[in-house]
This record gives sequence, C-alpha cells and structure tokens, in this order.
Amino acid sequence: MSNVIVEVKDLRKVFAPDIKAVDGISFQVQRGEIFGFLGPNGAGKSTTIKILTTLLAKTSGSATIDGQDIDEDQKAVRRIIGYSSQEVGVDDDLTGRENLILQCRFHHMSKAKSEENVQSLLETVKLVEAADRRLSTYSGGMRKRLDLASALVSDPKVLFLDEPTTGLDPQSRQDIWEYVKRLNQKGVTIFLTTQYMEEADRLANRLCIVDQGKIVAEGTPKDLKAKIGADVINLRFKEASADACSRASQAIRGLAGVKEVGICPADLTSESGLTVLAQDGASLVSQLVKAVDGAGVTIDHLTLSAPTLDEVFLKLTGRTLNVIERKETVKSRGWGARRRAR
Amino acid sequence: MKMEWGSEVLVIFGRWNTKLLRQPIVIFFSLINPLVWFLLFTQAFSAIGGLPNFQGLTGTKDYTTFFTAAVIIQTVTSSALQAGIGLVNDLDSGFMDKMRVAPINKSAILFGKLFSDAITTVVQVIIILAIGLALGVQFASGIAGVVLILAFAAAFGIAWSGLSLFVALTTKSTQTTLSVGLLTTFPLLFLSAAVLPVKLLPNWVQSVAIVNPFTYIAEVFQSLIIRGFEWGVIGNALATILIIGVITLTASITVFRRKIS
Repeated sequence: MSNVIVEVKDLRKVFAPDIKAVDGISFQVQRGEIFGFLGPNGAGKSTTIKILTTLLAKTSGSATIDGQDIDEDQKAVRRIIGYSSQEVGVDDDLTGRENLILQCRFHHMSKAKSEENVQSLLETVKLVEAADRRLSTYSGGMRKRLDLASALVSDPKVLFLDEPTTGLDPQSRQDIWEYVKRLNQKGVTIFLTTQYMEEADRLANRLCIVDQGKIVAEGTPKDLKAKIGADVINLRFKEASADACSRASQAIRGLAGVKEVGICPADLTSESGLTVLAQDGASLVSQLVKAVDGAGVTIDHLTLSAPTLDEVFLKLTGRTLNVIERKETVKSRGWGARRRAR
Repeated sequence: MKMEWGSEVLVIFGRWNTKLLRQPIVIFFSLINPLVWFLLFTQAFSAIGGLPNFQGLTGTKDYTTFFTAAVIIQTVTSSALQAGIGLVNDLDSGFMDKMRVAPINKSAILFGKLFSDAITTVVQVIIILAIGLALGVQFASGIAGVVLILAFAAAFGIAWSGLSLFVALTTKSTQTTLSVGLLTTFPLLFLSAAVLPVKLLPNWVQSVAIVNPFTYIAEVFQSLIIRGFEWGVIGNALATILIIGVITLTASITVFRRKIS
C-alpha cells in the first residue's frame, strides 16, 4: 500500500473564456495526515476540492485517490471519500437524524445498519439531544457539525473539508477543530481548505499556500514560518506622531541583528505602530528600548512574537491574507456555489 | 445494478415525500388551486355548455363536466413546475453536491423526485374528481376509467416535469423556471381543446390546437369522463405523452450528466 493517498499532477481548470481557476498544481497527500490548502478567496481552493471529489471536470492534468484515477471510476472514488462543502449541504426540512440516515442510504446501507451508524455519529458530533429536531432550528455551528457527520457516514479514507469554519463563531470553530483532530487520530486522512492562517497552523501537518490558482509554497507550518528567519517585534509609541516614529525607526535601523524595519504607517494612531523583523528578537529587546529612548521617544507598548503564516503569505505574495476580498468570479460558476439568502 | 437503481430512487422518493408532508401550507395551496379553477371557470362560463353544437361535439351540455379535463391539466402542469424548483433549491443549498458525491446514479436523483411529484399529482386529481362528483359530474367510463385518468395524469405529469427539470438545470434559477413554466402552460392550455372543443375555436387557434399536445391530453380526459373508452383517443394521448416524455427527460438527463462531469 502506497503511503501517498492523494496524488495530483499538473492539475488545471480553465473556465470560459480564460479564467485559470487552477493553474497547474501538483502535490501529494500522505496517508493519515491533515493536509491544508491555505489561501484567500478566489485562489482556486474550492475548485481543486470539487475536482478531487468528482464534482467538477478538470481541464487537464491528473489526480488519483488511493490509487483510483478520479476520471476512470468515479463511483469507486465516491465510495472512499467524504465531502463537506462550504455551503453546508443539509436538508432543512428534515431532522438531524433523518439527514444522516439519508446519507447512509445513499451509501447503500440497510435501514438497521443506517440507524446504528447514525446513533454513533450523533454522539461523535454531540448532537444526540437535537437529533430529532428539524435542521431549520439548528444554529450555524450545529449545522456544520451535522454536515461533518454526514460526510463521515461511509467511513471515508479521505475527508475533504472545504473551509470548514468559515462564518462560524469562535466556540463552534474550536469544536470543529477538536472533531477534525479526533477524526485524524482515528486514522482518517484529511484534506482541508481554509482562508484562516490560524486554522491551517493549528490543524495542518503540512500545507500548501495557494494564490491565484498556483501553489506558492509548501511545507509544514513550522518550516514555512522558519523561512521568514526572524522574530516579529511590534512597537507602539506614547507620542503618536510621524516624527517620533521616524526618529525611532532611524535609531533601530543601526542595531546589529535587525533584519528589516517596517515603514511608519501614514495614519499613526495608538493602535498602529512599527514592525521590526529581527534575528533572536528576545536578546535584542533591551538594546532596542535603549536606542528608542535615546532618540527621545517613549515606548507605550511592545510585543515580541514568532512570525505567523500571515507574515509568510505577505512575504510570498506581497499581500496580507485577511484583508483580501477578491471578486469571486470563479466560485459563482461552480454548481451549488450560490448560497440560499438568509 | 437495476436493484441498486430501484432502491436509490426509493430513498430519494421518500425524502421528497417527507419534505412535502412537512409543509402543510404547500399542501393547502396545492389543493385549493384546483378548487379555485373549478369554481371560477365553470361558474363564470357555464353558458358555454348551451352553445349550439356544444353537445353534438362533446357529448354533454354541462360545461363543468367538460371543463374537468382542463382543471386536471392545469393542476398536473403546475405541479410539474415544482420538480424544477425543488432541484434548484437543492443546487443552491449544496444538498445536490452531497448527493452527487455519494455513489448513486444521477438518473435516480431525478426519477426519485419525478415519482414523488407523480404521487402528489394523483392525490390532487383524486380530489379534483371528487369535487367534480360533488358538482354533478358523472364519469361515463366508471371506476376503470377513473383509474385510467389517474394513470394518464401521473404519466403526463412526469413527462411535463421534464421541461421544468431541463430549464432548472440549464438556468439554475427559480425565477426563470417558474416563468418559463407559466409562459408555456397557460397559452398551451387556452390554445387547446381543454377550454372549448376544437371546432368551436377560431380558425387560427384551431390550427394551433391540432399540433398542441395539450389537445390530445384534454381529449382523453374529456372522452373518459363524458363518453367512455375510445381507443383512438387513448392511443393519441399515449403517443403524445411518450413523445413529450422521451424528449424532455432525455434532454434533462443529458444536461444533468454533462453539467457535472
């Protein structure tokens, strides 16, 4: 048995007239890992997941899931995968239990087997008490948990999660993370897409950073952050003026170990300040404070932190991950991509 | 394979039935609709029954008896519209993707819905016939004829649903599906033998009515209600339903398969 469970080679998807949603990507997912696809809206994450789950035809390239070509025997692929879409594909008129039984029946389980299976799934996602209520009464987090359970009915080898926590409250997000981790511990390989760097950092063993249909970096979160090669020091000053900031900036620039000093923000407020990238930041802090003091500027607030995937994305693409709201030209072409207006 | 298809259709059929039973308002309006048609038209146009030749052409001078066929067609076609609407809702909610990721046959997704709608249609037509009976309509072909009416209504419903499925799958829009449905149904109904016997229609309408499938469906209902079993009329209706069904359902299944692979 090969250790690679998902293998993608030079995958492309071009939507008419000439929108390269997925522009030649290749990667491998190892059996038993959580593999993340991190990128902003419109990066091609959903398109990739829809191709791998047989929902969308690729333009070119190849992909296999557990050795099965996704084009050759689609039913065989569908038997070994689970999919939880961004839209949460549940039926609001049915109860939680009915939704899950329906999914079991789609996988050709007997009624008795379905009921038994559903009971244990409901326990897994902690929805036993709400099981016999209609989905229209569920909260967003509950719906997502039920959707996750419905992706698990067939005991899949690979679980595809398309932005599993987008739009959820922090508590629900934590819950979903817990379930995903627990499932993975039970041996389920998980492929997940996300636009939250924290999610990728917390869950993924390995991840690809994707942007505009291309993979721009691949590795473990730790490796990717290590590539930045520095700590991040954030400074805010008592005197919120451009002059104070530039004097401080001048003073810091001369210190040994400082790799990069950010630009003073044009609209300096008590909330924004100066970012400094430095090797071995901890030992530099005292010198840095002295230098700034010497320039006649008083520090109000200082934080020292390791780089996050945000900084990685920023360095690779020149943009930050969180502020980007690109027009989703590609997504609206996918089936079922429109959400019911709520 | 065949067994599998059958059980898949059954599962999807069951889902739609459950959904419908959970929506009492939808059920209420689907039952009120034929009642309104029945009372509105037959009361307003009862004088039509007294037109010269009406009895000679139709076999009855009671317009309510004649118009029962039109009420059945109107109800069947408006229920058929729902097939496409249900599908668009599934596309929007993401439930369609859930079904498509499961190892089931694509056509089972469509036929499960069609059969569920056919059951609804049969129940509606039974109610129409009961209202008719209460309004004094007599069924010349008896119980066997009533069963045949129900079978024709269900079959025509399935065939006509294909149009709504096709539009729904092509446009993925509830609005368009509804508009196309209404814009085809109403003209076809009034340019057919459903409201007046063909010979009493203006000349140009007659030439439309002759090629209008609704004419042959209306005639089979009228024939079974007013006169009894007329095999030529039954044959025409059967052929009409087969032709419509093969065209619309093949088109929908083709679009369904192509759109997603």
